[in-house]
Amino acid sequence: MERADAEREIDRIRDAIDRVDEVIVRLLNQRAKYAIEIGEIKGVLGLPIYAPEREKDVLHHVEKTCEGPLDGHSMRRLFERIIDESRRIEREAATDNGQRTTEND
Amino acid sequence: MVIVMEKHTTESNIERVMSELVARGFDVHRSTGSEQTVLGVVGDVAKIDTREFELFDGVQEVVRISEPYKLSSRTFRREKTIVKVRGVEIGGPEVVIMAGPCTIENERQVFETARRVARAGARVLRGGAYKPRTSPYAFQGMGVEGLKLLRAAADESRMATVSEVMEISQIEGMLPYVDILQVGARNMQNFNLLTALGQVRKPILLKRGMSATIQEWLLAAEYIMTGGNYDVILCERGIRTFETYTRNTLDISAIPVIEKLSHLPIIADPSHATGRRDKVMPLARAIIAAGADGVLIEVHHDPDKALCDGPQSLYPDQFARLMDELRIIVPAVGRRL
Repeated sequence: MERADAEREIDRIRDAIDRVDEVIVRLLNQRAKYAIEIGEIKGVLGLPIYAPEREKDVLHHVEKTCEGPLDGHSMRRLFERIIDESRRIEREAATDNGQRTTEND
Repeated sequence: MVIVMEKHTTESNIERVMSELVARGFDVHRSTGSEQTVLGVVGDVAKIDTREFELFDGVQEVVRISEPYKLSSRTFRREKTIVKVRGVEIGGPEVVIMAGPCTIENERQVFETARRVARAGARVLRGGAYKPRTSPYAFQGMGVEGLKLLRAAADESRMATVSEVMEISQIEGMLPYVDILQVGARNMQNFNLLTALGQVRKPILLKRGMSATIQEWLLAAEYIMTGGNYDVILCERGIRTFETYTRNTLDISAIPVIEKLSHLPIIADPSHATGRRDKVMPLARAIIAAGADGVLIEVHHDPDKALCDGPQSLYPDQFARLMDELRIIVPAVGRRL
């Protein structure tokens, strides 16, 4: 492969990555909307935001459905951050819906 | 704040810590490693007592990343605080020299010393009226009569005054005569006094306790500032170390450290740090070279007859020579005198 061809090929793949990122962002926001809905319900019912059993299930689920080339552990680490953000957005939604927030100014 | 869990701790231990954090309104960033899990805590963590979480099962270490002090920190206020008193600006481009006797002894002593230090370039006159002496048999100070002399001598030489306050009951009586109230090293953690000084609307010169860490010192400043008095000047005066040759070891490194951590002006006192006249001049030069906003120096018109700390007081001629030396150093560090 000529150097110019290689550079063109890298550009093409990078474009493809950008398209994938757009889909990921859209899906993450879709996921966040569900988290907000759950947060609102938890706020009304006064349920705890942190649900360790559910978090475990989510991680287990993504690990199981992961076919590679990323291994299960990598996927788990990525989803830990996604869950961290979901927990935060759920808390905010719950607080707006009546649950009292403590020591957070 | 970061909570490091023990290696191979159980999932339920991690969950208990996370539950507590989330219940208190903190956001948690969990990072599961192959052996160890680390929890990043986001929110107003200054209010957390780290020991509470260190006591949870499975917690190895709780590490604070943000400082526990707020009002005094650079994070709270980026630009440097300039304390203004009687036309003198402490913390600005000018380096401020405060000088005078350890203790006010009599009219002749304080007036004579004031004239000599003012002529050499000092802007603030120091002088103690209430003295915290190690021995109860040592001279304890002249009280309000001494403060009146200090004020009159400073007015004659067009200077501001600084004098030490030892207890709450003295504050009111000092206000007519003293422009800057000094809290001595031994009182740095006298929290009742600090709180009372938070209500005063005059600058406070807060000396570092002789065994106080920089964090404890800034938290002491915090006591004054939470009362609404933001004009706090920090003063390094030497800390206790294993070295006995000098009375204390002047912590020069505290100057750039404070400069980075806090917006408050920082000065240093080479006289009390060493307790020896021959060591005062080189240290004063080092203090200014290190970037301090000023120096607090003991000068006595006749040190050999001083009632208090004579051996650490400079002769007026020595002080004038020191000022000449400082005039050479000051422009090199981008300041003026």
